[in-house]
Amino acid sequence: MKRIELLSPAGDLERLKVTLLYGADAVYIGGQSYSLRANANNFTIDEIREGCSFAHKLGKRVHLTLNIVFHNEDMEEVEKFIKDVVDAGIDAFIVSDPFIISHIKTNYPNVEVHLSTQNSTSNYEAIKFFESEGIDRVVLARELGKKEISEIIDKVNCDIEVFIHGAMCTCFSGRCALSNYVTNRDANRGGCAQVCRFSFDTDESKEFTMALKDMNMAEYIGDLIDIGVTSLKVEGRMRSLYYLATVIGTYREIIDRYYEGTLTPLVMKVLQERLDRVANRETSTHYFMKEADWTDQYYTGRSEVSNQDYLGQVIEYKDGLVKFYERNYFEVGDTVELFTPSGEHISFVVSELYDSDMNSVDVARHPDDIYYLKLDSNISIPEYSMIKIVERKN
Amino acid sequence: MKLLIEVSSKDNLYLEICDGIILALDNYSVESIVSFSLDEIKEIKNNTSKEIFIKINKNLMNEDIEKVKDILIELDKIGVDGVFFYDLAILELKRELGLSIDLVWNQTHMVNNYKTCDYYYSKGVKYALLGKEITLEEIIEIINKSKITSMVEVVSKPSVAFSKRKLITNYYKDLGKEKSNELIIHEKITDSNYLLTEDSNGTSFYLDIVTNGTGIIKELYENNCQYIIMREFGVNSFEELIKDTKNYISNNCIDNDYVSKYKKLGDSTNFFFKKTIYKVKK
Repeated sequence: MKRIELLSPAGDLERLKVTLLYGADAVYIGGQSYSLRANANNFTIDEIREGCSFAHKLGKRVHLTLNIVFHNEDMEEVEKFIKDVVDAGIDAFIVSDPFIISHIKTNYPNVEVHLSTQNSTSNYEAIKFFESEGIDRVVLARELGKKEISEIIDKVNCDIEVFIHGAMCTCFSGRCALSNYVTNRDANRGGCAQVCRFSFDTDESKEFTMALKDMNMAEYIGDLIDIGVTSLKVEGRMRSLYYLATVIGTYREIIDRYYEGTLTPLVMKVLQERLDRVANRETSTHYFMKEADWTDQYYTGRSEVSNQDYLGQVIEYKDGLVKFYERNYFEVGDTVELFTPSGEHISFVVSELYDSDMNSVDVARHPDDIYYLKLDSNISIPEYSMIKIVERKN
Repeated sequence: MKLLIEVSSKDNLYLEICDGIILALDNYSVESIVSFSLDEIKEIKNNTSKEIFIKINKNLMNEDIEKVKDILIELDKIGVDGVFFYDLAILELKRELGLSIDLVWNQTHMVNNYKTCDYYYSKGVKYALLGKEITLEEIIEIINKSKITSMVEVVSKPSVAFSKRKLITNYYKDLGKEKSNELIIHEKITDSNYLLTEDSNGTSFYLDIVTNGTGIIKELYENNCQYIIMREFGVNSFEELIKDTKNYISNNCIDNDYVSKYKKLGDSTNFFFKKTIYKVKK
């Protein structure tokens, strides 16, 4: 039985490496052009090559988003870009434009093409059309429920990918130009200004808002595996390393435990709490078990909360000292947790802390500076392990 | 060049004075103010020689497919002149059922380049309603380079977005008040209003300002654009506008008085002369 794929976003090469190390089976990235996150760092061709090489050595895959809605001028260079990306070793393109699908399948039949959620594909008959065009996978609309997804899987032959975690659009993907009208930034060419998170005046006593809670499908991963979904997609190419490491690492554990039969309610509760801790909005399963309703959105404008749990990113562990880049203030006496890409979690009280010159200090207060902390551990602590706060002493 | 219209009520279809009409179909159309039953469509088609296009532009769900199949078969029998479609299921069903009905590619914000228009043409799609977020220059390039028959919406309150969610219901539920099916929201930065309407399919967003493309009709005409579209909703003296526009086209768009007269529709030309950006300078 083929295991379900965990697909992670990666806004740059470092995120690509970290998310693959934390358990993603594949990553999706954007190139310097034609991706719907035009303002993310995105990848040069050389970085795509390096990313593909890194992933392939781990037996993993890299997908590239090529999912803008093309204007005439965008068509001029795209064929060369596709060739360069194929030469760099990409495994799959995520595309919304059927002309581009046809071009790739005709010229590069060994490269997979996935239909972007930008098409908001919501029924089996539309998928049959794309199957006849050679599509390998369809990323379904986020407006579908379990029954509809299951019915689609029963009636089509291609792979089915669904979103499981992250921010949501209020409108059907691809069917929203609010950003164009309000900010002149083209939503469907990567410039979306997230106008659905703005608040608007009305004649009523309260502003109109439509910002959605984030998606969190952790409780239903087993359902998605059972109905035959191929790939579980996490949203967030512009999210932080810490967020991605936590989310991907947690879903890795959920998936593995589901297959092993060790995903007990108690374990699930711990894992869900871990996800909740890095969330900056409330979450919902939206359409999965019911028609989305008034409980799935906010009525008070932007509702993000900042999170300062993330304390540091490990550079190396040697001679009982963890060398790390500091991210948020912490001090001796705080209880912290160190977690590794392979899923180990070590909680301890910080007893000794040193600056980059090995002077003993009581606090780490300068983000991006290098610090050391003492830790006796038999567990391997590789690069890209993360440190987070559990409890502050004060 | 033909003039198609989309009406905002069933009271007057203007069939005597336009070249054809676009009728939204009950339950299967979104971003329309009024819709028609299949029986009403049959009756209209049977009583006119003008072109009749049907709009089936909702995002279809599995449960819609069998019903849409029946509808397409019926529309094929009636001999309507085309079906505006958003969902690719319509194109697939036409192929599976072997229907001869013509289709109009109508993926609201996506009909933006000539190569994809040609792709759809190669799949048997005859027409494309071009996106409203591209420039006149881009429109002309599509008309000139693509084999597909282009349609350009020149006067309307443009559709801006569509959500499956019941956003007006949700808003009023939070307020604890009885809901309306319409709501005007005001965007503060641009000082502009958007009209929201809600039905069983979800919530449609319109810019609450009429796009006045009367000034570009001449250029469209000179570039052999085959169809222009005007939507009645929010447009005053619509009947007069249709008559004047038909006369203007009949006289090869040389009457400068027409353009002067219809400055009264306002100065919003939407994106005809304004290019969107997507990379923000840091």
